[in-house]
Amino acid sequence: MVGPRWFVGFDSLMEFIAFIIALAIAYQALKGYRLTKQRTLWYVHFGFAVLSVGLLIDSLTGFLGILARTLRGTIGLASIGYSIYFFAQLLAYSMLIYAYVSQTRTLNRTSAPVLFASLFGSATLQAAPVPGVRSLGPLVEYHPIAEIVLLFLVLYVAVQTGMNYSSSKDRNALLVFLAFLFLALSHLFFILQPFRALLFVVGHMFQLVGFLSLFTMLLRVARNQ
Amino acid sequence: MTQRLPKYRSQMRIYVDIMRVIQREDNHAKPTRILYGANLSYDRLVKHLDELKTLGVIEEIADGDDRFYRLTQKGIEFMNQFRAVERFASAFGFVI
Repeated sequence: MVGPRWFVGFDSLMEFIAFIIALAIAYQALKGYRLTKQRTLWYVHFGFAVLSVGLLIDSLTGFLGILARTLRGTIGLASIGYSIYFFAQLLAYSMLIYAYVSQTRTLNRTSAPVLFASLFGSATLQAAPVPGVRSLGPLVEYHPIAEIVLLFLVLYVAVQTGMNYSSSKDRNALLVFLAFLFLALSHLFFILQPFRALLFVVGHMFQLVGFLSLFTMLLRVARNQ
Repeated sequence: MTQRLPKYRSQMRIYVDIMRVIQREDNHAKPTRILYGANLSYDRLVKHLDELKTLGVIEEIADGDDRFYRLTQKGIEFMNQFRAVERFASAFGFVI
C-alpha cells in the first residue's frame, strides 16, 4: 500500500531532501574521522553514507515509478527501491548501534532486549490477524514487519541519544535526540499505514522533520567555529 | 549515558590538550603552564612539543632565558576544525 494519490511524488521529493542531509552528515563524520581517527566517527560516516544511498535509490525509483506509470510501464520499481532502502536502513542503524555499543560496552544490558523485542514484535505481527499483513510477501512496498524491525533499531539509537541529552543538556544533543525520535515515529506510522492512507503522509513528514533536525545540528556545529 | 571514558588519552587527545592550554594562555604559554594544564610529565611534554613543532602546529619563541610556545596559523585552523568535530561527535554522544 502507498499513500494517497495526491501524495505521489512528494514522498520521493522528501526522501531526496533526506538523502542530501544524510550525505552531509556522512561527510562531516568522515571529516571528523580523518582528523581524529576515531572509529565511532567512521561508524557514523558509514551508517549515514549507506542510509543516503538507500534514500537516493528509493527516491529515484519512486520518481522513475511515476514516469513508468505515465508511460504505462509495469515495472515495480518502487518495491525494488524500498527493498534496497530497507536493507540500507538495517545496515545503517545497526552500524550506529554498534558505534554506541563499542563506546559504552553495554551490549548485554541494553542491546539484547532491543533485539529480542524486535524479533518478538515481528513474530507477534506475523501471527496477528491484521488484514493485508499476513498476505504480504517478503519485502513488498512498506512491509510492516520490515518497519517494525527498523522501529526497534531506531528506538535504540533514540534512547542512547536521549540519555546523552539528559546528561549533557546540550542543544545539539537535543536536536540529534529529536531527530531519532521523529525517525522512530515515522517508522511507527509506516507500520500503521495499512489502516489509513494518511498515516503514510504523516510518517514521511516525521521522517523529513527528523532529517531536518539533524541538518540544523550540522549547521550549528559548522557555524560555531 | 553510561559512557566509559578511555583509560588512556590518545596521542591526538594529548596534542589537543597541549594546544588548548596554549590557546587558553593567550597563545603564549610557558612549558610549565603546559605541563600542569595538559597533565603531563616533563619528558613526555618535551617529546610531544617536539612532535607538534615538527607537524608545524606550534612554534617555539625564545625570549631571553625564557621559552614560550604558540600556535601557528595551521595550529589555529586545526583547533577550529577539531572543535567542530568534537561538537559533532558529542551531539551523538561520542567522546573523542
